[in-house]
Amino acid sequence: MDMKRSYYRDLRLFDTWPLGLWLVVCAALLALVPFFAGNYLMYVLGYIAINAMVALGLNVLVGYTGQISLGHAGFFAIGAYATVLLAKAGVPIPLALVAAAFIAAAFGFLLGLPALRLEGPYLAVITLGFGLTVENIFAKAEFFGGATGPSVPPFSLSLWPGFSREQNLYWLIMLCAGGTILAIRNLMRTRVGRAFVAIRDSDVAAACAGVDLTWYKTLAFAVSAAFTGVAGGLFAFHLGQVDPTTFNLMLSILFLAMVVIGGVGSILGPLLGAVTISLLNLKLKGLKLADFEQIPLAGKEIAGFISRHFMETGMANIQFIVYGGILVLIMVFEPLGLYGLWIRAKRYWRTWPL
Amino acid sequence: MFQPLLRIAALAASVFAVALAPTAQAQQLTGVTDTEIHIAAWGPQTGPAAPWGAVTRGTAMLFQMVNDAGGIHGRKIVFHPFDDQYNPAKTVAGVKELVEKAPGIFAMASGVGTSPGLAVKDYLMERGIPWVGPAAGSLHWVTPPQKALFAMYPLYADEAKLLVRHLVDKEGKKKIAIFYASDEYGENGHRGAMAELTRLGLKPAVEVSVNQADRDLKSHLLKLKDSGADAVLMWVNPTHAVITLKTAAALQFSPQWATSSTLSDAVMMQAITGGLWKNMIYASFGELPDADVPQVKKYRDAFAKYAQQGERWGVFFMAGIGFVEPLVEGLQRAGRDLTRDSFIKAMESIKGYKGVMGRVTFGPGERQGQREIFLARTDDTGTKVTQLTPWAEVK
Repeated sequence: MDMKRSYYRDLRLFDTWPLGLWLVVCAALLALVPFFAGNYLMYVLGYIAINAMVALGLNVLVGYTGQISLGHAGFFAIGAYATVLLAKAGVPIPLALVAAAFIAAAFGFLLGLPALRLEGPYLAVITLGFGLTVENIFAKAEFFGGATGPSVPPFSLSLWPGFSREQNLYWLIMLCAGGTILAIRNLMRTRVGRAFVAIRDSDVAAACAGVDLTWYKTLAFAVSAAFTGVAGGLFAFHLGQVDPTTFNLMLSILFLAMVVIGGVGSILGPLLGAVTISLLNLKLKGLKLADFEQIPLAGKEIAGFISRHFMETGMANIQFIVYGGILVLIMVFEPLGLYGLWIRAKRYWRTWPL
Repeated sequence: MFQPLLRIAALAASVFAVALAPTAQAQQLTGVTDTEIHIAAWGPQTGPAAPWGAVTRGTAMLFQMVNDAGGIHGRKIVFHPFDDQYNPAKTVAGVKELVEKAPGIFAMASGVGTSPGLAVKDYLMERGIPWVGPAAGSLHWVTPPQKALFAMYPLYADEAKLLVRHLVDKEGKKKIAIFYASDEYGENGHRGAMAELTRLGLKPAVEVSVNQADRDLKSHLLKLKDSGADAVLMWVNPTHAVITLKTAAALQFSPQWATSSTLSDAVMMQAITGGLWKNMIYASFGELPDADVPQVKKYRDAFAKYAQQGERWGVFFMAGIGFVEPLVEGLQRAGRDLTRDSFIKAMESIKGYKGVMGRVTFGPGERQGQREIFLARTDDTGTKVTQLTPWAEVK
């Protein structure tokens, strides 16, 4: 892992100044995207950023505090519904997003209570139940728009003169995502963050050292839920539609997969995980048989095998297998996730030519 | 020391931004060139909703036939279907990608599913991109009518009304139960059935809803059975229909079943229910696939020539043709000078057009093209289908 050898180094917001510089450059590039790119690129980047916010939020819980959640689609849904319903009631969108964060956090706090007594698989089941319950309540209750969900009001916020709706929304998403990264990085430097990590490493030891388990465990749930809630609110506008079935168990599992694939307990890890899974989600759809014929050496044979066994009426039905295969390979060869790859690459260059 | 540098950088950045700003809202791609018309569609080819993806492949065959017959006023149709797995996030990505990449997309054809469709509706309508024949029966397409959206799928509520009317008037059923999915599709069927029952002065035997995630329907079926219903209106998805019939058979509950056009692919239903699709009364929005009418024969013959290996001449495949026939008709009528406005005008001139579906009529302000449906019934063996009622609009 990436060890820090002095207390003061651990306290810094950015490890090194080149890192800070690169972050500023990246942020600037992302901010400039609406000036030269079309809607499609903004949509993809926005989708990635929203997933990244959830992954980062979930990582506070999973990576830093050592709890688990299979119900984050529930917080995502709560954020989406709260934002949409408030915006429809005439609340300005930024305020609605903030309110969504607090509402999601409140539910996070409630879900955190059983976490005090439960661990591991038991906690997983509780959170799973939470996610399913939320989905069903939204789908059933007429107040929430029933099975089709509420209609999403047009995104009316203006951040830059002359920007279209998509451009404004893109900027808001990026601002929120950037804010999430900074907030979580900062949180982990504080007393609260250290308490989270102490609980993860050993909750008994943490309690003995004076960490109030009740407070900090529920707080971890609340913080995690708050970021997820904001992401959900942004997602509602991003998609322009809220459908209760979107927030299903599969989504919760995907969120968890982002954290695990990326690498738990870091900032970069969940980011990489969110990018990977989002791109796999959006890009694999176009996979065609001809693409497999491009594979060197055995391309023809692979394509032939697929056309015999994985085809449904002329369309390759293979992307699920490729998707799963990529995830399995990452975990087999790099148990620390994509973040582990990064660490190893860094260490390799630092000690080069050894 | 860095202050002046920073200031210059900020200035440069803002100049850059202002210079680039106009290009962002720039060129509207029309998807029409001298020789090509680009048309796109989404439809699940993989995942749980994959059976409905046949719609998209049917549309593809229709376009291929049009091209092989010489195209439309000197232009060939270039079709861009894509697999969205019935996931709205993927539908939006796919549609934006195609619409914004040169030469753009002239119009959308079919497009499977209510929630994928809803996710792109506003985007398409804001850009004035015509969309013909969404492959989902939703009220959202036509309330309120959109200038560029031409709906073909008849309303579920109308189907439910016609089924209830038939069950009561012709089959002499008195205790009709409603078994419906807790989504928009199920709710619309439920609403239509309730309206018709009220009109007839009846009450439903029982109303039971089913969740998408439910896999054990025994308690649902017991409620239906205990109500003493002699007919059940089943407004659920294919998976639930299979479980419903199997559970009912196990409980020895055999009312007269009646169901929506969503489950009108009798051959598929017979196969996946393991032979339980017997004596089923259902609504249909298109001619029966083996109907002996020239409109259907034309495509059935073409199917033998064009279809991919493993494809089946079924209701959904044919629906992909039927939903989009008016689009081809509209392109023909718009003539060589094709713009979105001339196309929409041409679409509005379509009156009483008869293809493989009921008669289609659009007009200024009229965007629900098809309202005609009929009822059909499978026989005791579940293999032969007969038309019970003539094509008619439900009043």
